[in-house]
Amino acid sequence: MKQRHAIVAGLAAGVMASAGVLAAAARTAPNPQPYGRPIGPAMASDTGAGELLVGVIGGVFPSRQEAEAANASLVFGDLQGYYVVPVAQFQGFKQDVGEPGDFALVSVFRTDEGANAFAELAATFGNEATILPERVRSLGGLYAGLGQEANPDGSGPLLGPVTESLP
Amino acid sequence: MRNGSRGDRGFRFLGIAVPIAVVLPLIAAFHWGQLGWRDRHENYPSRPSGYAQIVNRFGQPCNAEARAISMRWRAADNGVTYSFSFHRKLGGRPTAMVSDKGGRSTNLDNDVYGHIQNAHLQPYVEHGIYGYACRAKRNSNEWSTHAFGIAIDVSSAEEYMGKCTSTVNKRHAPIWQNHNWYWGLAFCDPMHFQYATNY
Repeated sequence: MKQRHAIVAGLAAGVMASAGVLAAAARTAPNPQPYGRPIGPAMASDTGAGELLVGVIGGVFPSRQEAEAANASLVFGDLQGYYVVPVAQFQGFKQDVGEPGDFALVSVFRTDEGANAFAELAATFGNEATILPERVRSLGGLYAGLGQEANPDGSGPLLGPVTESLP
Repeated sequence: MRNGSRGDRGFRFLGIAVPIAVVLPLIAAFHWGQLGWRDRHENYPSRPSGYAQIVNRFGQPCNAEARAISMRWRAADNGVTYSFSFHRKLGGRPTAMVSDKGGRSTNLDNDVYGHIQNAHLQPYVEHGIYGYACRAKRNSNEWSTHAFGIAIDVSSAEEYMGKCTSTVNKRHAPIWQNHNWYWGLAFCDPMHFQYATNY
């Protein structure tokens, strides 16, 4: 009889203890994430290889050193402005500006809205910003700012191709 | 004789003190009365710490809410009026000074801006005023707090990045800080005020 009481008491104590553990775990569970999982603070170095992109140009220079010096002198507050890339990494680029071997200050976008927003930002800082009249094909290479534009659906940054950027 | 002289002095004192006591508060209250501004302090979100909390409170970078509210601010030194956007949770709620922009709180466009005007600190807001931008931090591949619409740069030409002291923004920085904004002077970016810490 005593043994049965001991077993019942043991079971009851075990159930209560596990309920306590479950309750404690529930209280410390992470809050729901209303906007989905954070995509991470660091953006991927997406070159959009093969895609047709809109380029915003801040200048073209005959050497990397000159391009980097010019880029360093541009003011964009505490934001990233242009990227220095060889003109040759975009097919169709040299038809508009520059020659093979030149280096350009560029930021590329998948949407016209993204390019326009960046050109406005550059202009408010007093920087030159020319939107290329035709899309250029990315051949890969160095990162040129792709992904720093809003997704048209309003959910966050645009991280993949859109209809207009697909060849 | 002495009593009469003391009485005259008393009347003269009252003659000066009473008008001053009446007029001074009226002068001091000029802006409050004329503009109808009050610090409403309504519906401020709590200030997030770190990237995950920023996303949980304000959404992913470059989301539509991050640029939902806009305001204009005139720079005192060159007279240029800057128009910039910021997050819906940080302003745009209707007050006596702000029209209904569909915003959730009174933080930036009513309270911070109003305090700066009311305290006559507008002369220390100089050119280069920016808000939302879907960009990375300078020389980095990390999202800037500007991409969430939770950062404002003020007097950016004078208070440039890399300067570890402040000349003009220090005059109004306490107002920002009293309204949950963290000042970038701590990381040598005195133009920058952000509604987040540890990022």
